[in-house]
Amino acid sequence: MPLATIAERVEGCIVAAWVDIRTGAVLEQQPPRDDAFIAPALDAAIEVMRSRERPPRMVLLSARHVHIVQRTLHDPNRVLVVICERFANLGLAVSLVRMQLESEVA
Amino acid sequence: MASLASPPAALEVLHALGRVPSDACGALVRKHADGTVAGAMLVERGRVCWAMSQHYPLRLTDILVAEQNTLTHEQLNELFALCRRDHMPLGETLVARGLISLAVLHRALLRHTCEALDYLVRAEASPWAWVAHSGYGYHPMLTFSPVEVLAGVRAITNPALAARSLARLREVVRGDQRGFAIERTRSAKVPLAQVGCEAVDLVALGDLAVQADEVMAVAETVDVQVALAQLGELACASWVEHDVLFVLLCEGELAFNRLLSQVAAMTIKK
Repeated sequence: MPLATIAERVEGCIVAAWVDIRTGAVLEQQPPRDDAFIAPALDAAIEVMRSRERPPRMVLLSARHVHIVQRTLHDPNRVLVVICERFANLGLAVSLVRMQLESEVA
Repeated sequence: MASLASPPAALEVLHALGRVPSDACGALVRKHADGTVAGAMLVERGRVCWAMSQHYPLRLTDILVAEQNTLTHEQLNELFALCRRDHMPLGETLVARGLISLAVLHRALLRHTCEALDYLVRAEASPWAWVAHSGYGYHPMLTFSPVEVLAGVRAITNPALAARSLARLREVVRGDQRGFAIERTRSAKVPLAQVGCEAVDLVALGDLAVQADEVMAVAETVDVQVALAQLGELACASWVEHDVLFVLLCEGELAFNRLLSQVAAMTIKK
């Protein structure tokens, strides 16, 4: 599933991005907009997942946003980050991200 | 009673317990400079049975009367004499005679053990010596896991904060869940309060706390209030209220989704 499709399917999606936690680089981002909120949020996700001891899947909740962060199975340095509005259906958003990664493995 | 404790008291207990083999029975003893015993902590297969300190001013009977206002010192002294004469355990006899509930006895024994340990750690500087024993035969319900003892000793430092943290845990921890609270300091992660974590290994609990604290430290920079993680079958949620880190653990089917829906509806107290 391409990132653009995830961004489209996750209700209230602000950004979906592939990041490399080793280099800190944003590999791909949808939509490719620049926003004062997005860059620090992606940096925080990268920092959170940088430790190898961190579990492969995390969800971070702020008052307004949901950050879904998940490592890929075949490359632990490659992490999918999806940030959406808090009003979104959280269970659905988390499931969509999980499905995306499972389809990659398959 | 004036509080003497600070975080290192709990740490010293943690280190002393860490040196005892998990299947050993015996006493960790501290002595005065003249060689007389200053106090001891009795340990049986990884559980703390009792602690005593020459400096600790309360007797178990004082605590029992304080915890259960229907009991009197006269009643207890009489029963104590009887138990001594007939070689019967005081606690079990109190419960068997319906004078106190097991829960009250458990709470009183834990309080006595933790406060005596705190005095023992504070008042003595001598090293702990291990004296092996074949076993004390304490009722397992009336002995305590290291997590219970450490949380009890740690709570003496700041009883108001510990009580608030415990009350908050009781608000959020559901029947099939466990939770603990840790004050965010630079020292080792010793629980301030816990619900259902009695049997959790101390090292595992410390690791969870370190992970949760590291995640929250970063996540807070982008105003994240709650972090959820999936560790195999275990789902873990963490958040911070008034500089206390709370960790909620949930296991079983759809644990992550259940915990997500619970914390999404929760109000973080700031």
